[in-house]
Amino acid sequence: MALDTSIIAGGWLAAGLTIFLFSFLYKDNPFFKIAEHLYLGAGMGWLFQVSVTSVWIPKIWEPVSKGELLVIIPSVMGLLLLTQFIPKISWLSRYGFTFMMGYGSGLAIPAGLSTDFMSQIEGTIRPFSKLASMTPFSILSSLIVAAGTICVLFYFFFSVEHKGHLKKVSNVGIYFLMIYFGAAFGNTVMARFSLLYGRFDDLFTFSGASYFYATQAILAAMVIYFVIHWLVSGRKPASEEEAA
Amino acid sequence: MIKHKALLTLFLSLFAVSGLFAAKPVPPAKKAAPPAPAVITGLTAVDMPYDAGNAAILKWAVNPADAADTFYVVYVSSLEAGGWLEADRFVSSAKTGKDVELPFWAWDGSSLEHAVKVELNNTYGDTLPGSVFQFKVAAEKNKQVIAESMPVSVTPVGNWFRLDRMNNLVLLITIIVIFFWAVSHAKRKGLFIRRIAGLDAIDEAIGRATEMGKPIFYVPGIGSMSSISTIASAFILGEVSKKVAQYDSQIKVPHYDPVVMTVCKEVVKQSYMEAGRPDSYREDINQFVSADQFSYAASVDGMISREKPAACFYMGYFMAESLLLAEVGATSGAIQIAGTDVEHQLPFFFTACDYTLIGEELYAAGAYLSREPMLVSALKVQDFGKLFVMISVFFGMICVVLGAKFGWSAFVSSVLNLFQNF
Repeated sequence: MALDTSIIAGGWLAAGLTIFLFSFLYKDNPFFKIAEHLYLGAGMGWLFQVSVTSVWIPKIWEPVSKGELLVIIPSVMGLLLLTQFIPKISWLSRYGFTFMMGYGSGLAIPAGLSTDFMSQIEGTIRPFSKLASMTPFSILSSLIVAAGTICVLFYFFFSVEHKGHLKKVSNVGIYFLMIYFGAAFGNTVMARFSLLYGRFDDLFTFSGASYFYATQAILAAMVIYFVIHWLVSGRKPASEEEAA
Repeated sequence: MIKHKALLTLFLSLFAVSGLFAAKPVPPAKKAAPPAPAVITGLTAVDMPYDAGNAAILKWAVNPADAADTFYVVYVSSLEAGGWLEADRFVSSAKTGKDVELPFWAWDGSSLEHAVKVELNNTYGDTLPGSVFQFKVAAEKNKQVIAESMPVSVTPVGNWFRLDRMNNLVLLITIIVIFFWAVSHAKRKGLFIRRIAGLDAIDEAIGRATEMGKPIFYVPGIGSMSSISTIASAFILGEVSKKVAQYDSQIKVPHYDPVVMTVCKEVVKQSYMEAGRPDSYREDINQFVSADQFSYAASVDGMISREKPAACFYMGYFMAESLLLAEVGATSGAIQIAGTDVEHQLPFFFTACDYTLIGEELYAAGAYLSREPMLVSALKVQDFGKLFVMISVFFGMICVVLGAKFGWSAFVSSVLNLFQNF
């Protein structure tokens, strides 16, 4: 079944931009620059429309239209931040920043105390309250968690020099950290591979006859460009090419 | 080898000790006495303490004669008569005064009475239909009502003070007192901070850039100004740009967030002035790139690969773009120093950068570089916090283990209450 022209064009665009961005793996080139600048422009355009349709209209324009004038106060505070661009009145922006910092601190400090201190301690010692129903393995597991917590925290303790026995505690903390980082690395790499498979799947789809072999055509065109570029610039000294 | 043997011995000892404390077989329970009819005596309703005014607490005496299949049903009404809605249903052995989730210093619950917290928002939604609410309790067995109380009424009110969070307040006040002590001590005598390896490389990186005549890229990440790592990054930027100004090198700071850019502009300008080189400061040192994560990454990658900087700093809040940036920097041959508190991005910085500041080291970096009494004091307070957690975990664990072993349930509960988040 023949596809709509707009879908075919979309396929060529998607395949082209994907391959253009992947071409950076070879070296910086005009195709990558095209994709980079297009991405930057499209990103800004998208964010602008999000700001207008998700913030400006529903949170300022519509409430003010309905007579809810209180929203003007935070709006003015936000606008004050823009006075940074006018040196004569840039001091006004401090009011906006001060409010943001104060609000942020007020929100973060109590929550941080609860989650970073209290919950951390309680979560580490609570399992021992069920000692009567714990198996040797669960007790050992809880002990390892507690020992790991203390050793890792000690690694980040800056008030004493890590020497002698203290260095050993700190080193055990590093082992715990490295085990975690290794697990996190593997987990994230697997997630990134699934994204890569997604792009390859799309490239495979666009390589079909229904898309007029978009993937192969774009790849071939780029390879021809690189070969010609290499032949032309290959005769020039390296320093000249770099200067150009 | 000795170290490995010691670790193995420690592991086996821990395992052996854990075996001593492990669960033992429980003897069969004695046969219970035959049940007697259910009654609901002494029902009272009071406002739930330390809340926003949307809950009440009902209490009535526990009936030891309640059968295991007896259920209590709590009804609520916002009308003077009728309009009853079911608010809660539970088995007769549940929800005593001991089960109310409040700490020992804010609640004195008894296991001899039922205590049920009724959250009115769950029944009526966010907007309550009135200020006075009626409650009644019924006992059910096999879906037949076997007893019902008289209605009682209560007016829920909001409270200004959360006594249940007193532990947080005490800790906060202690931290504030220690902070002021540390500031005073730092100004008079100075405070010790241990060496942080990654930060010693900053001078090396800036020196290299100066010798090569190439720029330095300082990437503050994609966090907003409310992110602690971005604030720490701004402090480090101040010190880095001061050294850059002293060496008359070049620095470029591509930004994701316009507010962060505005703050960093002031920071860099101030650093150039402090270094005695205000004439070298240029407005385009800080430049806005994009507020879209991957557009930002693609653009900064392009800049790094074209300008081939001598050094790249990645300090702040990073997400998936961390490896995209660090990998391109490594390919371009730059010396790279990274620091973030986003733990799942740290492995990528480890693999692609020469030095990496892990979490708290990023916060410590600003104080370490500047030796500013205020920042050093903040670092000391953080150390106090860590010491508090380490000591609390160690002694808390011992107390809870002893309490659980000897059956001191009230003591265990009190220890846990001290650190509980209410």
